Amino acid sequence: MKNLHRYIVAIFVVAIIAAAAVLIYRKPAGQTATARHSVTSSGKYYHNSSDIYPGSSSGVIAEAKGMPVYGNWKNFTTKDGLPSDKAYAVRIDGDRVLVGTHDGLAVYEKGKWRTYTTKDGLAHNGIVSIDVDQLTGDVWIGTLGGLNRWSAGKFETFNQFNSGMPNDLVYNVFCYGKDIWVATGGGAGHYNTQTKQWEIFTEMNAPMHEPWTYALSAGDGKVWIAAWGGGVIEYNTETKHFRDYVDPDGFMEIDLQPDDGVVHDITTATSYCDSILWVSTYFGMSRYDGKNWKGYFDHDSGLASNFINFLRAEGPVVFVCSDNGLSSFDGKTWVTYKKNDNDENGKAIITNGSEKKEIPLSPSIAHNFIIGVDASDDYLWVATSKGVARGERIH
Amino acid sequence: MKTPYRILTLIFILIAGLPASGQKLPANYGNIPDELVAYDRYMKAYKYHFLEPMKFYGAGREKLPPTNLTEVRIGFLGPLEGSIIQDLGKQMLQGSILAIEEANKKGGYKGTPFKLMIHNDVGLWGAAANEVVKMDDEGVWAWLGTIDDINSHVGIRATLKLEIPNVNTGDPDPTFTETNIPWVVRTIPDDRQSSYVLVDQIFNKDKHNRVAVIRANNRYGRVGTLHFNRSATRIGFPIIIEERFGDGETDFTAQIERVKKTSPDAILVWGNAKESALILKQLRELGMNQPVYGSDRMVNEIFLKTAGDLAEGIITTCQYNPESNDPKFRAFKENYTKRFGQDPDVFAAHAYDGMNVIIEAIKKAGLNRALIRDVLTDLKTFQGYQGVTGPIVFDGSWNNIRPIYLAKVSNGKFHFSPAPKWEKENVIYKKARMAYQ
Repeated sequence: MKNLHRYIVAIFVVAIIAAAAVLIYRKPAGQTATARHSVTSSGKYYHNSSDIYPGSSSGVIAEAKGMPVYGNWKNFTTKDGLPSDKAYAVRIDGDRVLVGTHDGLAVYEKGKWRTYTTKDGLAHNGIVSIDVDQLTGDVWIGTLGGLNRWSAGKFETFNQFNSGMPNDLVYNVFCYGKDIWVATGGGAGHYNTQTKQWEIFTEMNAPMHEPWTYALSAGDGKVWIAAWGGGVIEYNTETKHFRDYVDPDGFMEIDLQPDDGVVHDITTATSYCDSILWVSTYFGMSRYDGKNWKGYFDHDSGLASNFINFLRAEGPVVFVCSDNGLSSFDGKTWVTYKKNDNDENGKAIITNGSEKKEIPLSPSIAHNFIIGVDASDDYLWVATSKGVARGERIH
Repeated sequence: MKTPYRILTLIFILIAGLPASGQKLPANYGNIPDELVAYDRYMKAYKYHFLEPMKFYGAGREKLPPTNLTEVRIGFLGPLEGSIIQDLGKQMLQGSILAIEEANKKGGYKGTPFKLMIHNDVGLWGAAANEVVKMDDEGVWAWLGTIDDINSHVGIRATLKLEIPNVNTGDPDPTFTETNIPWVVRTIPDDRQSSYVLVDQIFNKDKHNRVAVIRANNRYGRVGTLHFNRSATRIGFPIIIEERFGDGETDFTAQIERVKKTSPDAILVWGNAKESALILKQLRELGMNQPVYGSDRMVNEIFLKTAGDLAEGIITTCQYNPESNDPKFRAFKENYTKRFGQDPDVFAAHAYDGMNVIIEAIKKAGLNRALIRDVLTDLKTFQGYQGVTGPIVFDGSWNNIRPIYLAKVSNGKFHFSPAPKWEKENVIYKKARMAYQ
């Protein structure tokens, strides 16, 4: 009985110690994790804020391997000339950058911002998508109230009243050859700039359950439509045939197996590059090489969050806009950018397999709620819930 | 075993027993009975969704409220014109209006009246999206709607983009809240709950084996019966035939003839009140006297009037108890009838509750959409909220999973009783049963 008492006391003491250890171990990242993880395997800290290029430490580059790394972040808000801090889309167009905000189109050129609104001819001030026609140089703008072509300084409006547009809320616009593809609240469609004809795809003539679509991309003669609850609809522009990709388990509340197909039917964007199709959802991300699917979640990869607003692939790298950080990934290495909650600094989290490193960056991206992204050889532009961020490629 | 070793063993057991950092699976999402959890009999899923509520990490909470408002606008989206369910939309609107009027009599929002910004969800293709954009332009702080599944889905995608809180009080589509949008809550129990109750009633309680389904050929019919069909199959009774009908169809002979050939021992009809009543009549005319079950839209005067005496014995589900003697509900019913000259239906009652939830959220959070969203979704402020339709019991996807009711027609009226819980003893896996055998 005496021994039993000792055991109980011992268990109690050990339990308290173990609980304390667990609590310390589980401290929020913002409090202790940064310090803990910023120590690399070699035991060095990266004090990037003191570098000429924050984040330019050779250590960062070494950790990122072949992945591009962006630093020296410069953030823009209404104080710098944006019409709104809420930025939906960003597109690099040569020497200028086009930003879609809730209150107009902002154009950054020669270090200055200029705003265009409905007074200038835009269909609506809410600009949610932008693309540039490489054949003509025309800018196509998806707004909350119609589609605009910006050509020779003039805005031309396409909407449900004056054209074959499926719906006025243009979530995504994508230029592909002579066609301008749109994903709208009432279906997908494309406008042939040569014949000036619209062709609309809804549940009536495509393998969608419903007409709603959210985004699209194209390449190698195919268009991939993110059909919200209908997975991905693939359209072959030559054969005019469709096929769909849905989560094979058939249940919204689970993903039975991560690599059996797209991870969820609520798809939010597609992007095709280097023969790889990337698909974002509000439940994780998928990669399809034409033969095999691979699923990624925030608990098993370097993905910032499973709730993904948008993604864009450039070469082998995909940039993933999540609700809690910006991730980039080349199939092997993740580089995720996150801003601290209480200051302008943040960190780059580099994940290789099960190995994870955190490197402080100062300053960091404008906000962690990322809605749009575009990359050029030298810069990465990011549209966020609270401003636009530009990162310089340092690797 | 020596004492130190015993202690070490205990330490090991203790540490091993600590909660793992991996994903946990607490209570089943959506009140799913254990035996109906997808694939669970064979394997665990790699990822279970909706167990924890989504967070909203975006900006907006820092925005200061406007100071020069003369009205506090709340949006309404519903089928008001040009829709086969506009009668339901009218009830939903009236329930919303009553809540607004009562709130304004009490002083509105700090002395500023609430104003309902009314939008019809029928019109140009994808009209709901355009209407939500208009609500953003109007500066609404939140909106209520709608009933039709497609319009609801189209609307909430726009609300996500524009970040406007939405309370849905009329769309029972299970996938509505399964979109993972952290700006949307639903206060009316969904068709997943109805399906589980009907499966339990039809197969476990009433011991039917061969059930035919006749459903509307639209999203309401397809998604509404989805969990019924899956659940029936999982417990060993796959439905033997599914027939579909179009909106406004009046002659169902062809579908019924096909159903008749399969000799079902019960029939489930899933559609709007009028078509359901006509199907019931034509079933009887064609000599089919099997028990008929139905979806909650049968709980409607139109169904009772059209079906007449043939409605006797029909069993459906209902998301609340329209015969409740709860004083709050009686007062609502009396005020509603006095104000609009008709009895409230399920859409009126839930809209009344939903609009009151919006009003309370605005009063609590102030004029800031993100903060209104926060109180709507915090699983504290409105968890257990007692409306005229009953309590709100949100799950991790902000879907109201409170117990629902069975409705049975007797002496020309629907009578309501709490739906019994799914009993474990009826787990079908104990013995393989197949309807085809």
